[in-house]
Amino acid sequence: MDDYLIGVLSNIGVISFIALSAYLLLLTGEISFGQQAFFAIGAYAAGIATALWGWPLALALVWGAAIGGAAAVLVGIPTLRLHGLYFAIATLAFAEMVRILFELFRYQITIDGELVGPDGADGFRNIRYIFDNNIDAFQFLLLIYALLAVVLLGFVLLERSRLGVIFRMIGEDETLAGLQGVSIAHHKVLAAGISGALAGIGGGLYAHLTTYVEPRIFDVMLGVHSLAYGLIGGLGTALGPLLGVLIDIGVLESIRALSGYRMIIFGGLVALLLIVRPRGLLDENVVHKIGRFWRRISPWARRPGLNTGNRNNLTGGRP
Amino acid sequence: MVDFFQNTIDGVMIGSSYGLLALGFTVIFGVMRRLNLSYGPSIMIGGYLGTVLYLNHGAGPLVVAGAVVLGAAIAGVYVERLCFAPMKAGAGIASMVSSFAIWMQLEQAAILVLPRHTYPFPPLATGATLEFGPFFVRIDHLIMLVCALGLAAAVQVTLYRTRFGLALRAIIGHPVAAHLVGINVRRAMLLAFAAASAIGGVAGFLVLAVDQQVTPMFGMWATLKGLIAMMIGGLGSVPGAVVGGLLLGVIETHSQWYFGPQFRDLIAYVVLFAFLVARPGGLFGRAPSPDITTPQKA
Repeated sequence: MDDYLIGVLSNIGVISFIALSAYLLLLTGEISFGQQAFFAIGAYAAGIATALWGWPLALALVWGAAIGGAAAVLVGIPTLRLHGLYFAIATLAFAEMVRILFELFRYQITIDGELVGPDGADGFRNIRYIFDNNIDAFQFLLLIYALLAVVLLGFVLLERSRLGVIFRMIGEDETLAGLQGVSIAHHKVLAAGISGALAGIGGGLYAHLTTYVEPRIFDVMLGVHSLAYGLIGGLGTALGPLLGVLIDIGVLESIRALSGYRMIIFGGLVALLLIVRPRGLLDENVVHKIGRFWRRISPWARRPGLNTGNRNNLTGGRP
Repeated sequence: MVDFFQNTIDGVMIGSSYGLLALGFTVIFGVMRRLNLSYGPSIMIGGYLGTVLYLNHGAGPLVVAGAVVLGAAIAGVYVERLCFAPMKAGAGIASMVSSFAIWMQLEQAAILVLPRHTYPFPPLATGATLEFGPFFVRIDHLIMLVCALGLAAAVQVTLYRTRFGLALRAIIGHPVAAHLVGINVRRAMLLAFAAASAIGGVAGFLVLAVDQQVTPMFGMWATLKGLIAMMIGGLGSVPGAVVGGLLLGVIETHSQWYFGPQFRDLIAYVVLFAFLVARPGGLFGRAPSPDITTPQKA
């Protein structure tokens, strides 16, 4: 693979994490304009861990995810009773606070006679872990997609679990979910925490991919884009946001001949698409139809009509 | 003490532009119950139209003002037709994301027409000031404040004293019922949208005339400032929009004076966050309103 293709694919992979984090919140019915905050926190935390503290990459990524998740829980608790636009603007306000704080954040130490670390608005240079450890671009690409595969597997399991059903149920009708005995507060904070951790991993990978981060990357544009990916690709499956990223970054990069007009074409296409499919390309209906088709042709799937078990039933099999 | 009052005066003056931006926003949100992210970029399109007339034809301030308002209204109608009119009830999130896509489109269109980063914009009253004792007030700022108060009063009167306003309030209350009693809901919404964008156009012209320059970033700035002022004032409240704008202006000027420019934005967002958590309805708002605030159905 040539470097250009590796670069584009790495970008798609890394941005998929923040798109998935916004998607998870969309499942629970919340619109967040602020996932870029946890992406930024993950990027800085993981970058500081490897570049300043000399941690191994794996530990640094976990650390970034943990800090991102913790921050999301801290925001999730006071914003619990906010919905819709109110929640969206609160997350936006929080993300902008984080961005400005990173513009003020200086933490530099001398390593090998060179100052390393975040330098306010000038950004955080020389996150050189992958060069220092001779990891080439292709290997890092594999790492990104291995982690993405793990996350996707997590989503598949989530969709088949009681927890996934509860998340979607809260997204459909919070009051009704509450009446079924679901603890809304716990599950919403949990969803916020997981989504923050997802964005945090993405941020950590991003920092090591580009070796340089600065606060202005993590602006509202990134947040609204990551939200839009799920809606373009579809809210029926975790592959939806990935499809959204693929269409945006993939298509934008591939029709470079149209540069200058690409946002005009792309913006128009998205607007038209959302008229026809307000819940994206792979919405719940499409996913359901594909699932039905698969069960019809697959020799392994359990036949519909027979007892398909109560696994997806909210009562978990109890009467 | 003189500094304190001078800062407060400056804050009120700058805040009147936020109030104007919030006023247009609140009309759209009040009627549609949907968020139009393309609100600022529509205004920017108007600003670019004004700049083109100014640069190529030497148009005067009045012509430019008309062009900005008209351009913003036309761009607003385009957004309404594409992102709001065709959407079914309950697809509030799709409308919002769609308006974001159009934002990208409008920004790119502006860059295509005028590719440099900044372009000059005709001033209104080249920084001339009035003196009141120890205090100074810029004349163009004063015009801004008068326009904000005047337009807010006009919107309030339109909403509560005219048949059109009654129709709009009926739609706000219950779109289906409004349709059943013979109100042309789609036309009323389009008109409200165009009017709201035109109000934004007035705000845009005044701000650009004070800045004397226009950049593609103006769209994002206008959307964010209008949104913050609207949320502080209270969703869907006309006096709230103006007071929220003025308050935001005062908070910003004071924080800039005492702590510096980075803290100006930081403190504005902290105040916004605190308001949302402690008092989501804002200063003048009622209980959180329906549609976009309730989960959408497939």
